[in-house]
Amino acid sequence: MLEIKNLQVSINSKQILNGLNLSIKPGELHAIMGPNGSGKSTLANVLSGKSGYEVSGQINFEGKNLKGVPVEERAQKGIFLAFQYPLEIPGVNTNNFLKTSLNSVLKANGKKEVDTLSFLKLVKEKSLELGIDEKFLSRQLNVGFSGGEKKKNEILQMKILDPILSILDETDSGLDIDALKIIAKGVNLSRDKKKSFLVITHYQRLLDYIKPDFVHVLSGGRIIKTGHGELAEELEKTGYTKLN
Amino acid sequence: MQNFEVNSNQIDKIKKITSDEKDFRIKNLELFKASGFPNKKLEDWKFSDFKYIVDSNFNELKIKETSFNQQNIDLISDFEHNYILLVDGNLQSSNFNYEEKSKIIINSFDKSTDYKTTSNSLVNLNHALAENGYSLEIAKNYKFKKVLVIYNLFTKDLKNIILNNKNRIKLNENSELHTIEYTINESKSKFINNVYENIILEKNSKLKNLTIQKNKSDGFFHKFLKCKLLLNSNYLNLIFSSGLKFNKIDIECDLINENCECNILSALFLKKNEHQEIKTCINHLAPNCKSYQKVKNVLSEESKGVFQGKIFVKDIAQKTDAYQLSKALLLNDEAEFNSKPELEIYADDVKCSHGSTSGNIDEDALHYLMTRGLTKNDSIKLLIKGFLNDVVDYIKNPSVKKFIENKFEEQINGH
Repeated sequence: MLEIKNLQVSINSKQILNGLNLSIKPGELHAIMGPNGSGKSTLANVLSGKSGYEVSGQINFEGKNLKGVPVEERAQKGIFLAFQYPLEIPGVNTNNFLKTSLNSVLKANGKKEVDTLSFLKLVKEKSLELGIDEKFLSRQLNVGFSGGEKKKNEILQMKILDPILSILDETDSGLDIDALKIIAKGVNLSRDKKKSFLVITHYQRLLDYIKPDFVHVLSGGRIIKTGHGELAEELEKTGYTKLN
Repeated sequence: MQNFEVNSNQIDKIKKITSDEKDFRIKNLELFKASGFPNKKLEDWKFSDFKYIVDSNFNELKIKETSFNQQNIDLISDFEHNYILLVDGNLQSSNFNYEEKSKIIINSFDKSTDYKTTSNSLVNLNHALAENGYSLEIAKNYKFKKVLVIYNLFTKDLKNIILNNKNRIKLNENSELHTIEYTINESKSKFINNVYENIILEKNSKLKNLTIQKNKSDGFFHKFLKCKLLLNSNYLNLIFSSGLKFNKIDIECDLINENCECNILSALFLKKNEHQEIKTCINHLAPNCKSYQKVKNVLSEESKGVFQGKIFVKDIAQKTDAYQLSKALLLNDEAEFNSKPELEIYADDVKCSHGSTSGNIDEDALHYLMTRGLTKNDSIKLLIKGFLNDVVDYIKNPSVKKFIENKFEEQINGH
């Protein structure tokens, strides 16, 4: 599904990712851990197509090179990024926005757009599944949301847009244990043979609830170690410094 | 353009005129002649050099002769409403089928000459020449059941014409009115519309006024709005404006007695070389009054937006609560926004504040929306709508709100 080869990324001449290789197959869930400043969020941003980076190397998604593919097309092809810091967009109603985005994704894939009624039904269903209050969807997008609500909203968006590759950028940061469980539930319920996940996190805690197939350690812009669940546990005890 | 000259025999042409009225008109014409169209040397016009704008857009200017043809328009079908129809500013017809007609006085033009001398030469010109407009008075205790739409139609034969119209709205004690001024443009040529509007709100009365255009126009619009608010009265003015070559709305609002409230909010979307100015002067002349101003501009291409807002608080106007905010969203480097807030306060127990911001589209917000599958263009439109939306939220009537939202969205999408 996702094949990253020798990815080099710099911003304002500062090298952030330095020859990163990663391969994610359909149905797999990969966790990336790493110290602050190791390039985790940069990786997420570059995968989403964010501008402002100098990128070389290769990113193939579903066999196709993503080079030059704009942000919205990546989303339409099924790449979803749950933001570390979801943005507040005043004046934009969350429901309207979500409906517009769902329809642009459906349209791009040659599928029939949904009307308001069936959209609201879908939202209700997904909110119920996650155990979250759909009321915040009638508010302005992320405006005045608590940290937890913002992250839950990201996961709800993920459920509604139904991507094949979801990248979760520190979605667990700043969450209480209940919110964390909701996030984990959202991911676990979506997991199937076709969908893949890239979960970026600082803490092993999230991985107690979401069982990864692979755990990678990102440091100095490269993956320096790959293992399974136990690697995360080891890191929790020893920290990153010993790995270097 | 060569100098625009108005001969005093223009006033002689006006029929049924008293000597007082004639003196008033001649005096104002002299004032206009002495200064001509206002230019940027005047503080009030420093960001909108009207003389320059006229000179560079018109080869000649003529005064509209008073002949008006009957015109028909398509009425808004989205909500039930009363209406009056103005054709080039002239009151053609009115329909108050939803109301008790005995409570409403509608006339074509208010001849009173009870105006203070002003240094605004466009107002002088209006005082000298205006012969058309409407005068609306609502009886004591009467509250309108439905909205009143003021259809403001500009016909196709207005090439190089300057129109001078004068309107008056008076709400007597405890009365209520909600108006929508809906401008329809059929003129394909440039013209000037110079309006003076007089609003008087008696004790406990309430006026809501909303302005929006049906379509774009090559007209150059200037409106001077004088409002007088008496005890406990409440005034709300919502300005949605888009697609006008030039538009300056100059609002002077006197809060004469206690507990008055004045709210002025605008959502403007400008493109190409459009130029819009909102100028306000809110005079707090009595204690315990409230005023709130919020001006939001979205500017693209080489458009120019201006906000000059003044709050004046007289020494006796204690416990004044006055707020003013202007926000501009600039979509490119060529667009320009000028903001000049002014506070003049002589009372010592007041709450007065102002703020002004201008900035570009937030790239991170844009990226966020695009990661959800929206194109850049759609994301920008969504951000523009979001930026202007809080002004739309002041409309409480759901069908009117929907109508305005759709109209405004058309204007944003069409650009």
